[in-house]
Amino acid sequence: MNNIYDKLVDMYAGQELAEDLNAELEAVASTNPALKSDMTSLRATVTRLQSDDDGAYTDETHARILMKLYARAGELQTGAPEPIYLQYQLPMSG
Amino acid sequence: MRCNVCIMPGETNHDSLQEKRWLTALNEGDTRALGGIYELYGERIFRYTFRMLGNRSDAEDITAETFLRVLRRSGELRADGAFRTWLFRIARNLCIDKMRQHKLMELPPDASIAGTEEKSTLRITVQQALSELPTEYREPLVLCDLEEMAAREAAEVLKISVPALKSRLYRGRRALRDKLGGTQE
Repeated sequence: MNNIYDKLVDMYAGQELAEDLNAELEAVASTNPALKSDMTSLRATVTRLQSDDDGAYTDETHARILMKLYARAGELQTGAPEPIYLQYQLPMSG
Repeated sequence: MRCNVCIMPGETNHDSLQEKRWLTALNEGDTRALGGIYELYGERIFRYTFRMLGNRSDAEDITAETFLRVLRRSGELRADGAFRTWLFRIARNLCIDKMRQHKLMELPPDASIAGTEEKSTLRITVQQALSELPTEYREPLVLCDLEEMAAREAAEVLKISVPALKSRLYRGRRALRDKLGGTQE
């Protein structure tokens, strides 16, 4: 990272800054257009990424995954029978 | 089985107790508990795999496979707070395998998610931008910014240090901004 402002802008974008630091950075940015642009665009990117999240997991998705899961789990449990030599205890020698 | 309950970021006390309950049941051989564990984490694992792969069908397969691994390893499970990290790590490894397969077969990302609504268009654009990012940038973005996972846990999932995770997140956010640059609202 280049400097402390880059780190602060990154934390600002992720909304990880404490309230007082957040306000302080915004105050500095009000007199620094390049910093303000960096802050605004990076936070917008993170916000956009987060707001893009809902809706991908539908009821159909839920049902399909459970069907796949239970089908494979069933195969796992009712798979090949145990080999004959494991079904009976061998006589103890000695 | 040891069952210390440890609350992870983004998780409620109720979830943690539920996790303990289901893991204990699964550990004791009650396979019905798998459904309970799926209810707790299924959606998050699907979202993660979908974002990583950009393909709904593959994401569903990988999500199912992830929980199948839970069943296979049910005798070793512990509700000690590390379960969720372990689960994401399994999903991640399966995604990496799938991406390698795609690379070998040169399969395109899923086109079936296209829609006419404004929100769908927005989603495709963000997903496309994410898909174009190198995996090392995409992973921290998905875990930290989408799944709101704490840096420490995300670093554990990715098996990297916290500073390395933060550095990748820093670069990833900027790379995503560049990709979305022309369509930024």
